[in-house]
Amino acid sequence: MNVFTCNGCDYQSMTAKYVCPKCRQGKFETREVSSKGTVYSFTDIHIAPAEFAGIAPYTVALVQLDEANVKVTTRMALGVQIGDCVELDRIEDGAFLYKGV
Amino acid sequence: MTDVYVHGIGMTQFGTFVDRTMKDLLLDACVQALEDAGNPRVDAVFIGNFMGGAIYNQEILGAIVANELGLGFIPTAKVEGACASGGIAVRQGVLGILSGEYDTVLVAGVEKMKHASTADVTQAINAAMDNDSNEKHAGLTFPGFFGVLANRYFYETGASKKHLAMVALKNREHALNNPLAQFQKATTLDEIMGARIITNPLGLFDCSPMTDGAAAVVISREKSSVHIRSSAQASGPTQMQDADDLLSIPAIGESGRMAYEKAGVGPGDIDVVEIHDCFSMTELLAIEELGFFNKREGWKAIEEGRTKATGDKPVNTSGGLLSRGHPIGATGVAQIYQLVRQLRGTAVNQVDGARLALAQNLGGTGSYSTVHILERV
Repeated sequence: MNVFTCNGCDYQSMTAKYVCPKCRQGKFETREVSSKGTVYSFTDIHIAPAEFAGIAPYTVALVQLDEANVKVTTRMALGVQIGDCVELDRIEDGAFLYKGV
Repeated sequence: MTDVYVHGIGMTQFGTFVDRTMKDLLLDACVQALEDAGNPRVDAVFIGNFMGGAIYNQEILGAIVANELGLGFIPTAKVEGACASGGIAVRQGVLGILSGEYDTVLVAGVEKMKHASTADVTQAINAAMDNDSNEKHAGLTFPGFFGVLANRYFYETGASKKHLAMVALKNREHALNNPLAQFQKATTLDEIMGARIITNPLGLFDCSPMTDGAAAVVISREKSSVHIRSSAQASGPTQMQDADDLLSIPAIGESGRMAYEKAGVGPGDIDVVEIHDCFSMTELLAIEELGFFNKREGWKAIEEGRTKATGDKPVNTSGGLLSRGHPIGATGVAQIYQLVRQLRGTAVNQVDGARLALAQNLGGTGSYSTVHILERV
């Protein structure tokens, strides 16, 4: 998957900015990294907004990527714990759907 | 330091008022505040409101207030900043006076939520996330965001679900004495811990409710017994995955830092606090961000009862969002209502001799935060 890295400092992000919020000068370049990572934290969503009510309960996990100083918000099946090794299963409707390694 | 003072306050009962219109609630709070202020001439109106257009099909709230109250052809505006709409409206009023443009401003906040379904309200609240982000597409919600924070907070500290429950219980116990609060039924730690899960570890009592209600204040450059010593606002990440430190909400810390600096006071000087406890977890992080307790140690202060009305740093003596209720656009104004009563010595859960008070109002996933520091003079 793609992450954005500042060409002026060590700032990295899942999302590009107009200017680097850390050094306030650098511009962003894309870099392709492995989708593999570790669950940093998570929650199981039992009460969902109307557009997701049909798939609840589901887990939203914040994943620390192995190959970049970047965290990515993902959706997973229930049963996740902090520290689990995970990877991208597929991208669906703009969401990163992750699974255990 | 500002030269702005509070002259009048008003607030409706918070709760379920399906039979009252948004205009009715809004005008009720405004009239109370105007009467409390001695019906001064008003130069402008600012209204905090988040979802009046989305789920109640009602906008032009500022003009409605000016027209219905016969205030004349004065300028008005609705202010939107998600759950910080009310705090930002107060700040716009303060700035309008500081600019020299206005002498006296009416600020109010209102929300109508109870007529709509939970799924529809949750959907409308999600407008405060970035629609183009992968995390909104993943199905993240606001209780979900604070659930993710809570699980990490537990992982890094000695805190547990019991500490969240202790926040919820404290605020409920405060609300029992507040006749305007939404929830006035006693509860127990066991009931809170055993309630149905919304987004684990957050259960029903860890989440602020849907609420109908309104609050209003009249502020002026004319002196009164309550001085708005400082007003500050900051922004923060609009996405969870952009946080440098997941257990920090920089908008709260930065708005607090600026408010302390402008007021020339520090966290240790504050006698009574209203904080944005949209979730029990949010109160834990906010008391840390505002410097009342060390980072990652807010849970210890809860355990020791230090944030109770009887403690050394009373937080949410109104019952907070969790039990006073959270009519979104009204919340930031209702915080000022409670603190003015504290400084006048007429509050529920009165803190003896309160002189300096702090209100902090949060919007989005830490997207907006306002802090106002009030002083009895």
